[in-house]
Amino acid sequence: MTVVFGIAAVVAFLGALGVVLSRRTLYSALSLVLNMAALAVLFLLLDAQFLAAVQIIVYAGAVMVLFVFIIALLAPAAEERIPRLEWRVLLGGLAAIGFTVVVGRLTLNGITVGANGHLHGGLGPFSPQLVNAHGQVQTLGEQLFTTFLLPFELTSLLLLVAAVGAVYLSRHRRAGE
Amino acid sequence: MSGLFPGFLILSAALFAVGALGVMVRRNLLVVFMSIELMLNAGNLALITFARYTDTMAGQVFALIVIAVAASEVVVGLALITGVYRSGRGLDVDEMSEMRE
Repeated sequence: MTVVFGIAAVVAFLGALGVVLSRRTLYSALSLVLNMAALAVLFLLLDAQFLAAVQIIVYAGAVMVLFVFIIALLAPAAEERIPRLEWRVLLGGLAAIGFTVVVGRLTLNGITVGANGHLHGGLGPFSPQLVNAHGQVQTLGEQLFTTFLLPFELTSLLLLVAAVGAVYLSRHRRAGE
Repeated sequence: MSGLFPGFLILSAALFAVGALGVMVRRNLLVVFMSIELMLNAGNLALITFARYTDTMAGQVFALIVIAVAASEVVVGLALITGVYRSGRGLDVDEMSEMRE
């Protein structure tokens, strides 16, 4: 368990670094695929099997194919002179490390984990054993269509708006139109 | 099992910080966009971690919704990027200053 977490965490972090530090845009995209695959493994460790599958299908599949397609389409402009060790890179790196350290301190000191592996207080009814006995996807679906029906409907509206917006934006405009 | 809880959260914070670094440092519009995806994924990891360790389902449901939001964001964003490219400008963020002032 801990070993799998360690490997997946290192791979995810290296993938993230690869996105930011790669010279070529295509290498950034491939690093992002690596990062997302490692995150899917972490989701499996967190008893979120359905979300791991969605992560692979939607992100590593659909979204990244779209990214690679656009990179291939815009190949000449996709190359970049990358700033190597400019002052803003150094400052940004220091800020990122500082942020991680602060959150780490808060997590290690501020949140106590009980002996049974749960946070103190505010425990909901959906323990992993119960969810897995009932069925992961069933539980998620029931919640989505009862308690969280309004966010679900708003998401469907958002997808419609995004589709219409993308069609409008990518329409080919002729001169004088 | 309980020992991994801070690990997940710290990893989530580190991924978010790297994504924010990419948004601030890189000049290529496509890489900036990928860094935003990185930050959304880090948020998802935190949501699912808290869902697992508090025995609730809300985190997983909202992670699903975040994935849908990210997908629609990619669709609209890539359409905008191709539009910018087609209008004759490159993909350098620093060059796009028409809306300054």
